[in-house]
Amino acid sequence: MLHFKKIFFIFFLCSFSLLSQEKITLSGTVYDNINNETLIGVSIYFPELNAGTTTNEYGFYSITIPKGNYKIQISYLGYTTIQETINLVEKTTKNFNLIEETESLNEIIIESNIEKLNIRTPQMSVNKLTAATIKQIPVVLGEADIIKSLILLPGVTSAGEGASGFNVRGGAADQNLILLDEAIVFNSSHLFGFFSVFNPDVIKDVQLYKGGIPAKYGGRLSSVLDIYQKEGNSKSFNATGGIGLVSSRLLLEGPLEKEKSSFLIGGRASYAHLFLPLFDNDNKAYFYDLNSKVNYRFNDKNNVFLSTYFGKDVFGINDSFVNSYGNTVVNLRWNHLFSDKLFSNLSLIYSDYFYGLILDFVGFEWDSGITNFNFKYDFKHYLNEKLKLSYGVNNIYIKFNPGEIIPNRDDSGIVAEKLIDKYANEFAAYVEAEHKISDKLTLQYGVRFSNFLRLGQDELNTYQNDQAVIYNDEFKKYESATPTGTESFKRSDVISSFSNFEPRFSMSYILDDNTSIKASYNRMAQYLHLLSNTASPTPLDVWTPSGKYVQPQLLDQFAVGYFKSIKEGDYSLETEAFYKDIKNRIDYINGANLIANNEIETVILNGKARAYGLEVLFKKNEGNFKGWLAYTLSRSEQLTAGRNANEPGINQGNWYSTPFDKTHDFSINASYELNEKWTFNSNFVFQTGQPTNYPVGQYEVQGLNVPIYDDNRRNADRLPAYHRLDISATLTPEKNKNRKWQGEWVFGIYNLYGRQNAASLAFRQNNETFRNEAIQTSIFGIVPSVTYNFKF
Amino acid sequence: MKNIKIIFVFLTLLFASCEKVVDIDVPTIPPKLIIDASFEVFFDENPVTANNVVKLKLSADYFDETIPVVTNATVFLTNLSDNTVINFTDVNLDGNYEPTSSFIPEDNITYELTVIHDNQTYKGKATKVKSTPLTSVVQGDKTLFSGEETELKVDFTDDGTVENHYLFDFTQNIYLALEDRYFNGSDYNFSYFYQEDEIELPTNVTIKMTGISKEYYTYFRVLIDQSGQNAGGPFQSVPSSLLGNMINTTNEENFPLGYFHIGESDTFSLDLVEKNN
Repeated sequence: MLHFKKIFFIFFLCSFSLLSQEKITLSGTVYDNINNETLIGVSIYFPELNAGTTTNEYGFYSITIPKGNYKIQISYLGYTTIQETINLVEKTTKNFNLIEETESLNEIIIESNIEKLNIRTPQMSVNKLTAATIKQIPVVLGEADIIKSLILLPGVTSAGEGASGFNVRGGAADQNLILLDEAIVFNSSHLFGFFSVFNPDVIKDVQLYKGGIPAKYGGRLSSVLDIYQKEGNSKSFNATGGIGLVSSRLLLEGPLEKEKSSFLIGGRASYAHLFLPLFDNDNKAYFYDLNSKVNYRFNDKNNVFLSTYFGKDVFGINDSFVNSYGNTVVNLRWNHLFSDKLFSNLSLIYSDYFYGLILDFVGFEWDSGITNFNFKYDFKHYLNEKLKLSYGVNNIYIKFNPGEIIPNRDDSGIVAEKLIDKYANEFAAYVEAEHKISDKLTLQYGVRFSNFLRLGQDELNTYQNDQAVIYNDEFKKYESATPTGTESFKRSDVISSFSNFEPRFSMSYILDDNTSIKASYNRMAQYLHLLSNTASPTPLDVWTPSGKYVQPQLLDQFAVGYFKSIKEGDYSLETEAFYKDIKNRIDYINGANLIANNEIETVILNGKARAYGLEVLFKKNEGNFKGWLAYTLSRSEQLTAGRNANEPGINQGNWYSTPFDKTHDFSINASYELNEKWTFNSNFVFQTGQPTNYPVGQYEVQGLNVPIYDDNRRNADRLPAYHRLDISATLTPEKNKNRKWQGEWVFGIYNLYGRQNAASLAFRQNNETFRNEAIQTSIFGIVPSVTYNFKF
Repeated sequence: MKNIKIIFVFLTLLFASCEKVVDIDVPTIPPKLIIDASFEVFFDENPVTANNVVKLKLSADYFDETIPVVTNATVFLTNLSDNTVINFTDVNLDGNYEPTSSFIPEDNITYELTVIHDNQTYKGKATKVKSTPLTSVVQGDKTLFSGEETELKVDFTDDGTVENHYLFDFTQNIYLALEDRYFNGSDYNFSYFYQEDEIELPTNVTIKMTGISKEYYTYFRVLIDQSGQNAGGPFQSVPSSLLGNMINTTNEENFPLGYFHIGESDTFSLDLVEKNN
């Protein structure tokens, strides 16, 4: 660590010495010409100097270069490139307005630039998608979906159709940091995983970091899904919407004060009684989202945003059973420019996840959730053309409500019980430099310091020898220890404290104008664990903090990549290899009950995990025919060894596949623009089946026929391979021209050839024949859909 | 909490509704001895009776049609307080071993069950677990998901002085394992719903409630899970081997399956009729 710091300071000093030349700073913000939205990741490039920068999450850029008269290029995906000459003699603030290509279709011959590869920046292992691409990808029931779209890119998989969460590079679903306007979202799914909680109309920018994760992010091991919402059109009032089979959405946006202040309000709701034709009684099943945002641009230096997200799922069967869950996010941000070189953002965020259940026939109500208050102060310092610094602090206070049982009626007989609330505080500070060493070599290096305090709770169980899980040598199995007592704490007490230095490093080396190699290393610490013993997470799963009995998860990831842009970016090729090593990955003892367990430490075994693989992404970015081909070859494994020679651990202490290990993952996405009226899109996906467990025999106890499972072959079997083909066609009627109302129809067929993909295999005895059977469950057969999108 | 799981299975089915039987080649292991010994003492009857059967079988390959019974074993029970031995025999050669003389397990006595088969000796211990009588079981009018279920309203009073676990046998191999954590000491009532295909109305059913140990409760919960009542779907937990409380003292590695348990049981019979919802 010390060594690392030394290197850091050397770089730091080198770069200051460069400042002595006479240079000036050009800074500003890049906007969309039509709606005045700021644009993220716009490239500002001086070809003569071979120097450039990109706009940050708030559309701001700053670059310091020698005085002079230069050509400048402002280019961005899906927008027409601006080329002009600029004479820089003194410090200059210049804002740019980019014109979207589709808007300028008939006027200029445009160079389409969609999702082009940036071979120069050291940042690697990022999956990007634009909202436009997401809306075109054929999806089940026509519901445009960020997460289902990201799964088509390399390194990202999910546990299957109708499964919530996603897995990045062999990591678990709880290892993804999901940020919506910088706020942490704990549950990303609606309807138990069929749809994600993000309304595609509201999304401005989506980036998924799979590796080489910048120091400003932390708290989860495997990935960062960073989603920014639109700010709202500050030039004119506008509405966008869609009517689909499952849900409809409407987004209203407009200026509160022209070009200074805007608002946005977006809603999405599924049709209540969606699945009710199946039943004839009083049931309900629906979800909705509400996004809103207000911003006020005081001046070029100060900008304030208030955004909220509220989403909920309700599922009920008459009054016997009502299940509801959802996220609430409130976020206040202040962008401030201390100088033309120093950008800052201060965020105050509240976010909350709630899960509630009423089971009338058992006579109780169940509530659980997680609440956090998050303070973030981030700085981006554009020191000079060669060196950019990011630094900041972040503090999150978290309250965990693992669950509470309340009798729901007077005669219920249920005794109220509150599982002990848990409290924690997570602090982090980071500094990172993006440093251009030479024309060919650029480095990004930094460190994040994180500290996690498990704060005092009312009762904490104690165990003999601090062992919450004991191994019963007589019966050869792990058992929960019985607590010997409890300790009680004040809320301000610190029960456990963990600190970690998390170094981050990435580099890019340009081989020629179109080719580069990149390498990265990142260490991450994760202090929260999602307790889940099922193939994919359920909304009912609760988060638990690290503490006396559960250690924080730690990851080291190494990645190398080869990036090539072919025919001036018409085609691109990205190849990456990665290796991940994870410490303190938990697994559970046999027969563990995770639901409403107040002594969760008594079912947890500590282990480790590793994943490695190769990713290839070949894209065609230009022309009427566009698309990509993605392939991932990987392995994801877990090891839970015994704590001493006497104990077997899990799977006899040998490595076993994680439930989300998929050896081969292949996907093709192709879109073809036939003419102005018709665009066609299709996906093909092929994946190795998920790991599963076949029985090795059968027996009978008390009349029950039971399969025998072998503990020496955990996850050793596979479901059949998964594959499907989807198609969609987008019709833009000609009458759209020259009128305000713009409509578009999207027709889709999901799983065109009706492949019955196995979501699971169940082994059970047939009730009538009394013979044992293996039963395969498939979620979706062939599913046609139609969606109408509009804008006015 | 089992009910929550039912809901997930239900959801899976709701969307899926596409299930088919597939051919799978499953791995096999050498047969293991199954010792299924769940003694029941009907304490609320006059006179008190007991059902003390040790069922011995051999595990089979998963898709085999039968699970063979074991008729050539030596089975006896030892009262560990005075070392008296009660011998069990398989009179009908059907793998069911019963005491040669009538026997009622007593309170606070540890019994050791010994089974000798194929030159290997298996042993396990149990002490009778107390229970409480069923107050009432009546048919209700409510339904659940499909509207075709039959409701059973079960009522009993839990003993508040100790931690209790119960096993309900609703006939047709339908079991429910409960812990009193949320109703300790209460007059507790809950509803159980038979699925449409689980029962044919009108009929007479006998509901049985047995007091069980915490360990047997944990065991039985997993047993119910693995038997397929809740199997399948993305919400299924990772299946694992299920070890009981019998030990092979000759060869530890060749552990048997099944459980030895003694509990107090109470039964309640009622007529179920067709109701129009």
